Amino acid sequence: MAAAKKLMSVRRDWRERDVRVVLVALVIAVATVATIALFANQLQRTLVSSASSFLAADRQLEAENGRPVPAEWIDEARERGLETGQLIEFSTMVFGEGGFQLVSVKAVSDEYPLRGEIEIQPGSDAPRQTVGAGPGRGEIWVNPRLLRLLELEIGETLEVGNLELEITSLLIREPDGGFRLSSLAPRVMIHVDDVPGTGVIQEGSRAEYVYLFAGPDNLLDDYYQWLEPRLEPSHEWESVRDGETFSRSLERAERFLLLGGSLAVLLAAVAVAVASRQYALSQRDTVALLKTLGLSSRGIGGLYLRRLALWGIAGVIGGLLVALPLFWILVRLLSDVLEQPVDFHLAPSALLPALLTALVSLFAFAYPPIRRLRNVAAMRVLRAQPGESGRDAIPDIAIAILAVFGLVWLYAGEVALVFALLGGLALLLAVLALVGGLMVAVLRRVRGGGNAWRLALVGLYRHRQASMAQMAVFAMTLMLAATLILVRTSLLDDWQAQLPDNAPNHFLINIAPDAVDEVEAFWAERDAPLDTVYPMVRGRLTELNDQPVLEAVSKDERIGALNRELNLTWMAELPEDNEIVAGEWFAPGDTIGVSVEAELAERMGLVMGDRLTFTIGSETVTEPVTSIRTVQWDSMKPNFYMAFPPGGGLTDMPGTWITSFHLDEGNKVALNEFSRRFPTVSVLEIDHIIERIQQIVRQVTQAIEAILALILAAALVVMAAVVSATLRDRQREGALLRTLGGQQSLLARSTMLEFALLGFVAGIMGVLAAEAAVYALQVRMFEGTFRWHWQVMLPIPFISAALLALFGRWQLRPVLSVSPMLLLRRLE
Amino acid sequence: MNQMTDPKLAATNPMLRVTDLTHRVSLETDTLTILQGVSLEINRGESVAIVGRSGSGKTTLLGLLAGLDTPTEGKVELDGAEISSLTEDQRAQLRASRVGFVFQSFQLLPALSALENVMLPLELAGMESPEARAKELLERVGLGERLSHTPRQLSGGEQQRVAIARAFASDPVILFADEPTGNLDNRTGQAVSDLLMDLNREQGTTLVMVTHDEHLAARCGRQLQIEAGVLTEPEAARELAD
Ligand SMILES: Nc1ncnc2c1ncn2[C@@H]1O[C@H](COP(=O)(O)OP(=O)(O)OP(=O)(O)O)[C@@H](O)[C@H]1O
Ligand SMILES: [Mg+2]
Repeated sequence: MAAAKKLMSVRRDWRERDVRVVLVALVIAVATVATIALFANQLQRTLVSSASSFLAADRQLEAENGRPVPAEWIDEARERGLETGQLIEFSTMVFGEGGFQLVSVKAVSDEYPLRGEIEIQPGSDAPRQTVGAGPGRGEIWVNPRLLRLLELEIGETLEVGNLELEITSLLIREPDGGFRLSSLAPRVMIHVDDVPGTGVIQEGSRAEYVYLFAGPDNLLDDYYQWLEPRLEPSHEWESVRDGETFSRSLERAERFLLLGGSLAVLLAAVAVAVASRQYALSQRDTVALLKTLGLSSRGIGGLYLRRLALWGIAGVIGGLLVALPLFWILVRLLSDVLEQPVDFHLAPSALLPALLTALVSLFAFAYPPIRRLRNVAAMRVLRAQPGESGRDAIPDIAIAILAVFGLVWLYAGEVALVFALLGGLALLLAVLALVGGLMVAVLRRVRGGGNAWRLALVGLYRHRQASMAQMAVFAMTLMLAATLILVRTSLLDDWQAQLPDNAPNHFLINIAPDAVDEVEAFWAERDAPLDTVYPMVRGRLTELNDQPVLEAVSKDERIGALNRELNLTWMAELPEDNEIVAGEWFAPGDTIGVSVEAELAERMGLVMGDRLTFTIGSETVTEPVTSIRTVQWDSMKPNFYMAFPPGGGLTDMPGTWITSFHLDEGNKVALNEFSRRFPTVSVLEIDHIIERIQQIVRQVTQAIEAILALILAAALVVMAAVVSATLRDRQREGALLRTLGGQQSLLARSTMLEFALLGFVAGIMGVLAAEAAVYALQVRMFEGTFRWHWQVMLPIPFISAALLALFGRWQLRPVLSVSPMLLLRRLE
Repeated sequence: MNQMTDPKLAATNPMLRVTDLTHRVSLETDTLTILQGVSLEINRGESVAIVGRSGSGKTTLLGLLAGLDTPTEGKVELDGAEISSLTEDQRAQLRASRVGFVFQSFQLLPALSALENVMLPLELAGMESPEARAKELLERVGLGERLSHTPRQLSGGEQQRVAIARAFASDPVILFADEPTGNLDNRTGQAVSDLLMDLNREQGTTLVMVTHDEHLAARCGRQLQIEAGVLTEPEAARELAD
């Protein structure tokens, strides 16, 4: 009994190399999956909360019709346990000692902001600080430029309508950054309860009522279910996910993490499978001996099952011991990037995938070969029995494939992902079979050695079975790693392209037509040249094919763009980042037609030739749709739903010009001079927003890099595991070759070459399969366009060749360093 | 190097000359003397049996004679070359070109077929087309029909015959065998030793063999007795009386 117990101890097992590999693979699987799940969870919370701060809430309800929404709506939200808050935004004149100025007022309730913080500066020399609430009653916070325009000081008063308010602070940054092009004037912030006192808002004045909501997603969704039927066309429900700038970055980052997690699962599963098969093979003698000693098949099954369970527990504990500090480091990294403390959130539910991975790896991958140990013949003790045929492993492989894809499916919840990987792997295996067969046929002809090259080729042929199996695993591992590298690269490239360092961060609006040249010259002199300057005419889309547009368009679609004035423009050239999806862009000299933004066109069901009528002031213009184009709303440049040709429908319509440009932080003082010289031009400063987005992109990038590193480490372990699967045979062969007179250097070189060749071929195939998988992923999951990535791919076969050569050299180390006599003693 | 390749010197020198060989291994606490003051000479074409009790140092001596290790003290000259003065790679070259081995536990590589096992030393020696030579040898040991079988599919006697074919493959001038029949039954052992002796005679090889098999020992031209690491006079009568 004591001996049987000894057979069962993990410590004893640990001394066996194959068990070590199984355990290490398990630990890595659990650690990677747990770290990624924990981190993805944390990242999501952080991202959503940073993105939420853009709305200053989780959801916003906007009423663009200038009327508050019924109070019951808000009461209902409170009853459902949601936090609420309110804003009113309007434009008005304010009066100070030095004159008057049109400002854009944001009146906020006590609860504002529900998410994010306001940055203020309570005195001109005081340090900036962030606060969690807006001004109190009787106070007004103002944009620094307004103070200068009106030559006012903090502590002085400002008249807003009938009310005199004390300036208590400079308003530096608000979380919901006033990102709308309609906010033309400098911002001031007051308390919402002061609004009636100002008397500015009368029946019919243009004010926008915004309601803020925050709370758990399910409550918010339930509330929206309740609210939706009550909404009018002028009401717009906005969530972070709809936010134009963020949604895509956020979604992609999430998907990347899921993809990474799935690949980690795959890699770990491969390692566990390879190592346990090896372990099972090495256990056959022991099992045969136990059988001769009288242990039944059932007894043996139980013995190994219990052992697997022990490994599982050890693997999970070990994995978590690795994952938790790693997670902690990643979170610290995240908070460094964000330059703000991140609340360390350990979600127990995020550990479930890791446990599941361990369980499935053990029982779908490790158990089958070990289970078959029960069938080992006791006769083995007396005489070596023929090894098991590959056919026995077919049911194992079937179970393994099912398990893997079940796991990936469960984990990533993406059918497309599962099929992209499945397709990539199937393709890979097919090509492998082909290349493998070809290689064996070619290598068969190589005979005789003498130099390292020929010995390496002979070696490859000699180990053809093991070599092909190893090549399959290497190629698979490399494919998974390469897929991840590729996706990461194109993801980062896309982001980089979206928001380069010199992305426009200021808008100039309301430029009078005759001032355009002067404004351009002003900024050209200051090394901040303007991007394209577009004319902007405000008008409403009123008719579609001579019918009132609201009747002509399906009632189910609530299209905000139809309920407000649109910014119309004319342009000769299609902006670089726009793309024609139907019809044709205006030819030079064309004066007829209008080009419509693709999403709006789709929602309105527009086709080429539909006639659109716009009301501009007191005039109307009717033009046929001649093209439909996509627009990069997140490009931080002026974008337009409707574009006319120069000399077309908008000619002679009253309008102003708009542009964007990049202004460095150090150059911002020029804005003061600009406001003085062009008082009517509005400057929209979005540099803080851009900075914030860039920061988030940086943070996601870091996370992605960290996870990539983690997974590449897992890939290395898998490769090491697979190489060491044949360690015993290789060392035996090496020892024998040395006794037979093989020189150390020749052996070393030929082994390295052999592995390098293996690694190179596996690398090429892995890379090609990765391209195939990425093609599927890129096009389906990340909505990107596919291109070849030879710069990324080219080094991979070489790296894998070098790595494997090192592995090969490393495993021959004990054979090369001692005298053949000692080797022989070990062999005996 | 020079003396190794000088044919005249090689012809006049004995095949093996050992002077005052002592071998120690250091264990954790102290050192263990395995061989003490061994001196002997073996001429070309001679066949010599080394006999002695288990643990007396036979395998160690054989390994040192074959240049698988270097002695702590004393000299081993193999075919005119002083083993200790050669680098490990030079010793390897010497083994590859002149030395053959047969082991008690066969030492065939399980993943390779009989043919591939025999080809191994030929490939190492850089032979252009080793297949023909390997086939010929396997036929000679009576395994012409089993070329593609792996060791698992062969009996112990058959495996040892493959090992013998491998040992003779590279035309060695000297063959070392460590209890070549130790793992085989009497009849099979007999057949294997017949084969070994026959091939030895045909090829004119020098044979140095460790064996417990008195009949096999008796078939060798000379017997060396070793006791607790010291070479003693071969006394067949006393040994039989034991
Ligand atoms: N590297 C070593 N480390 C420790 N002890 C060693 C070493 N090499 C040999 N020995 C010891 O030296 C003694 C002689 O060993 P050797 O293998 O030469 O004996 P042998 O005569 O071949 O015995 P057998 O007939 O059982 O094969 C043994 O006691 C052995 O344990
Ligand atoms: Mg021995």
